[in-house]
Amino acid sequence: MAGLSRRRFLQGVAGLGAGVLSGCAGLPICAGSKAHVVVVGGGFGGATAAKYLRLLDANIRVTLIEPKVKYITCPGSNWLFAGLSNLDQLTVDYQSLQDRYGVKLLVDRVSSLDAAQRRLRLTGGRSVTYDRLIMSPGIDFRWDAIAGYDQAAAEQFPHAWQAGPQTLLLARQLQAMPDGGVVLIAVPADPYRCPPGPYERASMMAYWLKQHKPRSKILILDAKRSFSKQALFEAGWAKHYGYGTANSLIEWHSLADNPLLELNKQSRVLTSEFGDRFRGNVLNIIPPQTAAQIALQHGLTDSSGWCPVRPLTGESLFDEFIHVIGDAAHYAPIPKSAFAANSEAKACALAVTSLINQKPVVEPHWLNTCYSLIAPEHGVSVAGVYKLDAANTIVPVKGAGGVSVRTDVEAVALEADYTRAVYRSLITDTFG
Amino acid sequence: MKRICYAAAPVAGSLNSIAHAEIDARAIAFNCRNCHAESQPGSESSIPSLENLSAQQIRQALLDFKYDKKPATLMPRLAKGYSDAELAAVAEYLNRN
Repeated sequence: MAGLSRRRFLQGVAGLGAGVLSGCAGLPICAGSKAHVVVVGGGFGGATAAKYLRLLDANIRVTLIEPKVKYITCPGSNWLFAGLSNLDQLTVDYQSLQDRYGVKLLVDRVSSLDAAQRRLRLTGGRSVTYDRLIMSPGIDFRWDAIAGYDQAAAEQFPHAWQAGPQTLLLARQLQAMPDGGVVLIAVPADPYRCPPGPYERASMMAYWLKQHKPRSKILILDAKRSFSKQALFEAGWAKHYGYGTANSLIEWHSLADNPLLELNKQSRVLTSEFGDRFRGNVLNIIPPQTAAQIALQHGLTDSSGWCPVRPLTGESLFDEFIHVIGDAAHYAPIPKSAFAANSEAKACALAVTSLINQKPVVEPHWLNTCYSLIAPEHGVSVAGVYKLDAANTIVPVKGAGGVSVRTDVEAVALEADYTRAVYRSLITDTFG
Repeated sequence: MKRICYAAAPVAGSLNSIAHAEIDARAIAFNCRNCHAESQPGSESSIPSLENLSAQQIRQALLDFKYDKKPATLMPRLAKGYSDAELAAVAEYLNRN
């Protein structure tokens, strides 16, 4: 593969694909002489890892295990609340990964993992062995954090923190709310998926409410003292939504010392430790999070609920043949974002390729860039460049990264444009 | 995938050690593709394509971003994260791939 450009690689795969892969069509998947990497989870981390492994080394067989035939992206899902997008526009599939890159897709779910035998059993009855396993399973929710808020309650009070039916449910509740109604957005403490997400969501809801139900109010009830891109968001809210005035569409309340403890479903009231009561017409409760269940069940998490890894390779601290990337893994200070998952996947794919080919692992580089829309023509961004220090700890590169510098009309319009363009590019880079 | 190697001597080290002595442009340049993905036929984007730029053009743009000679919303924040040699290696890699 060394020396091949992507275009030349693609021409090669078109001819090779059937022959190489058909030999392994029987189940359980055969263990041939070629190394086999199994990727679990077809989000931004898993899909990128599968694609880049094949780009880096066409001699590695790559199987992607993902229960859904199509994937709805969390990035962009807040735009739905402003009427700027719909679920179809946020839906991708795995056809390109299969056709262009020769990734084998198994639409199935892992039922058990035998790490000693390096074998996965799938719900559909198949078993799959691996030389190396890359887990990118995403997040799950801590349902015990707010009394009264569990999985069943989420059908009435959506978290909408995994895009799909929950997103639609929340959008419909917003649309059905009377003018003058109150939306509560409960935001967890760090770390959680997509740190600026709740504030972009409030912005997109405010944009829609301003046009359709302008007497309404959004209360952000935050477990943190500050938040991502706070100065940029607050300036944008002041510009568009009256933030800081009595008629503001958005209010932000830090409940860092006074956490939300209980939901009363009948009265639609959230109560805090000090007894403050917040009543809403629409309650968007984003619970604290952990790595996905599969990671918890198979001993890949520590007491934090996330998966500790050696950042050089992404290997789990608990199993050298299992790598964990994306939101489930602990790559702090890199935030949990789709962009970061894509970047972690590339570093991991490089490391896995090196390990399989018994070559030294190259120095990893990670990047995160996160755009948010405050209004359709008002975008803001935060970026970070990350490397390993001498102690093999991930550190942000000093002097690099940071938030949008210019906030004039022209600059924020350009960043709004980039917000949409980067989304499309990230989709192409990950799934295309 | 050409590895851009600036090391005078071959890298020595165990499998799990970092190859610190060389710059592997891929490790950095892959991250460029998040925003500058290979363009799809018929697609238009406000993000400049890298496909028709020479290595020298990319290198100069990256250095100008880094040293604040070329204004932009995002790239100056990113380019400051890399050495001049890394940016040159990235430019070379992007041009060849």
